[in-house]
Amino acid sequence: MPPEHPMLVATDVHRHFEGMHAVDGVSLEVPRGQITGLIGPNGAGKSTFMAVVAGTLPATSGRILLEAEDITRAPAYARARRGLVRTFQLPSEFARLTVLENLLVAAPRNRGDSLFGALMGRRYWAQDEERIVTEARSLLQRFGMSAKESDYAGTMSGGQKRLIEIMRALMLHPRILLLDEPMSGVHPRVIEQIQYYLQVLRTEGLTILMVEHELHLVEQLCDSVFVMAQGKLIGSGTMASLRRQREIVDAYLVG
Amino acid sequence: MNTFYATNLLIYAGVDIIALLALNLQFGVSGIVNFSFIVFQAAGAYAAAVLSMPPDSNPDYSFQIYFGGYQLPFPLPWIGGAVAGGLLAIPIGLVALRKLRSDYQAIALLVTSIIANEVINNARPFLNGAAGLALVPKPLQDQVDTQGDYYPYLLIGLTAACVALVWFVSARIVNSPYGRSLRAMRENELAANALGKNPVALKMTIFIVGGIIAGLSGAILVGYLSVWAPSTWQYPETIILFAALIVGGRGNNLGAILGALLVPVGLEEVTRLMVHLNLGPPNLIPALEWVVIGLCILGFLWFRPEGVRPEPRRVFDGGPDVELGEGVHAT
Repeated sequence: MPPEHPMLVATDVHRHFEGMHAVDGVSLEVPRGQITGLIGPNGAGKSTFMAVVAGTLPATSGRILLEAEDITRAPAYARARRGLVRTFQLPSEFARLTVLENLLVAAPRNRGDSLFGALMGRRYWAQDEERIVTEARSLLQRFGMSAKESDYAGTMSGGQKRLIEIMRALMLHPRILLLDEPMSGVHPRVIEQIQYYLQVLRTEGLTILMVEHELHLVEQLCDSVFVMAQGKLIGSGTMASLRRQREIVDAYLVG
Repeated sequence: MNTFYATNLLIYAGVDIIALLALNLQFGVSGIVNFSFIVFQAAGAYAAAVLSMPPDSNPDYSFQIYFGGYQLPFPLPWIGGAVAGGLLAIPIGLVALRKLRSDYQAIALLVTSIIANEVINNARPFLNGAAGLALVPKPLQDQVDTQGDYYPYLLIGLTAACVALVWFVSARIVNSPYGRSLRAMRENELAANALGKNPVALKMTIFIVGGIIAGLSGAILVGYLSVWAPSTWQYPETIILFAALIVGGRGNNLGAILGALLVPVGLEEVTRLMVHLNLGPPNLIPALEWVVIGLCILGFLWFRPEGVRPEPRRVFDGGPDVELGEGVHAT
């Protein structure tokens, strides 16, 4: 048995903007197969940290390891291909693509997804396409969105767009999913739905790191939680243990 | 309608269709606001010209100064024109498309267009400056009589073959998973990047493909006109093509073709006919043409941004039994 590395290790990660230290030396480990929460007041640097981990923003300094593999210098698309997939705080569906197409776009290893493949014609890539359409449809069915497959994603509700983003990410067979406030702007009934799906994904072994503001959701979902304030990590543990720490409650409330 | 008139109309229609299919790949499908599009057409035209003309030391051509003059037989000048458009796309793409945000890309490309025109206009030894190149040989002029009755049909046939080829290539790209990735990048580049798509690679490839096709359109045009000068490829020409794509319908090849027929061809024809009506001062109608193009862009973006023929919704066979409405069946 090879030694089990943590899914994700961030070591002393900094991200500076013109003199502002949005992320100021964060080190953390995300264990595999769990849902890990990242909480903190507005402006704590949570989203910036997520963006740095996903490669959307380069780190000013520090190191990021994905299963012991150094990905600090890899661009965002390369990290996604290696199984580190993020969603966004704001809805980021491909509005003028159908729901099904939103999922198909994300599928890796499609022979038709290159200029050469495209020019070779449908015969060359039809088999791959058929495979990923089947895969995407089973995801849609699982998330209760089959009936919407041919609608433009831009016409979906806030909650449905969240689901599309999560399904789209799953098409990449991620090793770790980074969710940036997946419940924000979502109808309470859909929040329950998303919560349920995330729990199912965890039992299937997916590792999730999520930023979330609603502490009761974090409490229900996350196995462990990291707390950030002013760009620094100020605590970690289970939600129950964090609630007992005076300074963390203060930081969160005072912000 | 005489043959000359019909030939003129058909060749221009063919060239505009080819150009618009290329601009559709870049702007309509991929969202690259290529305000320097006409430069690639010009590159193709100049390349085809210097590849087919004799050296400027030739007594018949000594009134011009240009480099090259390789007297290559058809179809090499057309192929060379396409290659030139593609090659030019590499440096321009690398400068404009790598780091800049898309609105700044548009500005950078517009400025590129103006600079390129100024440079060619003023650097005479390179491509004969403002006077441009003249007496560019016509395709197959050594093999067939270009004054003969059948030559116009030959030219039209060659142009039509190119239209068919470009249409074929564009259709394969637009209807493939690759085209889907391009459309996803157009919709949300950040999200596409986060899903494993390399936006710079996607943009560069389609920029080069578009450059090749644009270059071909220029080569065809110069083979027909026999002249090419900086005054024929100033940046407003690109705006006409954008107007055509917005009117016709972005993101689909039929829309692009419709746009070519409605705006550059249709508008030219209407103004040509209007001139015969002797309305007002002689320059009134051509000047109004620009007003009409501006109004076309504004009116369509305001009232029908998807154009006359909108990008079709792609419906896949074998889905759940729901009412589908109109849409293209993708598989």
